[in-house]
Amino acid sequence: MTKPEFIYVTYIKTTPNKLWNAIIDPEFMKQYWFGMHCESEWKAGSSWKLLFSDGSLADAGKIIESARGKKLVIKWRNEWKPQLKAEGYSRCVFKIEPAGDAVKLTVTHSIGRKSSKFIEAVSGGWPKILSNLKSLLETGEIVLGGKH
Amino acid sequence: MNKPELIYTTYLRTTPEKLWNAITNPEFARQYWGGNENVSDWKPGSKWSHVSGDPGRAVRVTGKVLESVPPKRLVLTWADPADEADVSRVTFEIEAIEDEVRLNVIHGDFKPGSDMVTKVSGGWPRVLSSLKSFLETGKSLKAASCASKHAEMAKASA
Repeated sequence: MTKPEFIYVTYIKTTPNKLWNAIIDPEFMKQYWFGMHCESEWKAGSSWKLLFSDGSLADAGKIIESARGKKLVIKWRNEWKPQLKAEGYSRCVFKIEPAGDAVKLTVTHSIGRKSSKFIEAVSGGWPKILSNLKSLLETGEIVLGGKH
Repeated sequence: MNKPELIYTTYLRTTPEKLWNAITNPEFARQYWGGNENVSDWKPGSKWSHVSGDPGRAVRVTGKVLESVPPKRLVLTWADPADEADVSRVTFEIEAIEDEVRLNVIHGDFKPGSDMVTKVSGGWPRVLSSLKSFLETGKSLKAASCASKHAEMAKASA
């Protein structure tokens, strides 16, 4: 059985503000998200899109909550794989907290179903993306290149 | 009911040998693992312990080496020395992917009713984040220190 929730915690040597910018800045995002980027105004109620590097639509939804440097909640649905799109909207929460000389980032991606292929799919992706994000913020370079 | 199991995956810019060494060499572990060392000869059947690097040498965790395949796979039993019957199992899987390394840490086989899973669930992301920083930048995270762990626990129980 697939658990319909994925939680990943990472500690990054950065500031809450820099981490926030890294999450919402499309050009910065492309570097650690395998060429993909988001389009949004990042305000509660704004639409939200995740685009492939060629500009085609991957996922879409809207911003539920947006507290700069602290918390971001996205209503999130896959738009390009019919089987995943059929599962409906998921909820992705980014929580940012200061932790000593670092910042604690908790990503919780969940869906209101008993089992979910969508959550299974993102469970493989988040560790790669968040490992890249941590390396990029701490060293200026990503860990994993484009082959995904 | 699902059996509790913690799985943490991280990707590091390093080599399997360096990562293996960072986990098994006390000199390295002490630098990113809250000041603690992992001590053993790392042969199957041997004892291992997680020991404070300061002069008190307090033993934090104790167990046996179940499998040891450097630099790919290390399986340990894991128990608080105050309650060795409450034993669980930790597996480190190290895999080279192109020029990088994937590390999977799986902590499972908890005894029914054990609160070990709650005790360690906050610690692994902290330690493994610190390990990644240590290998990639040469500096660990102070956030991985026992002081910040205890502060967080105090906050959580307040």
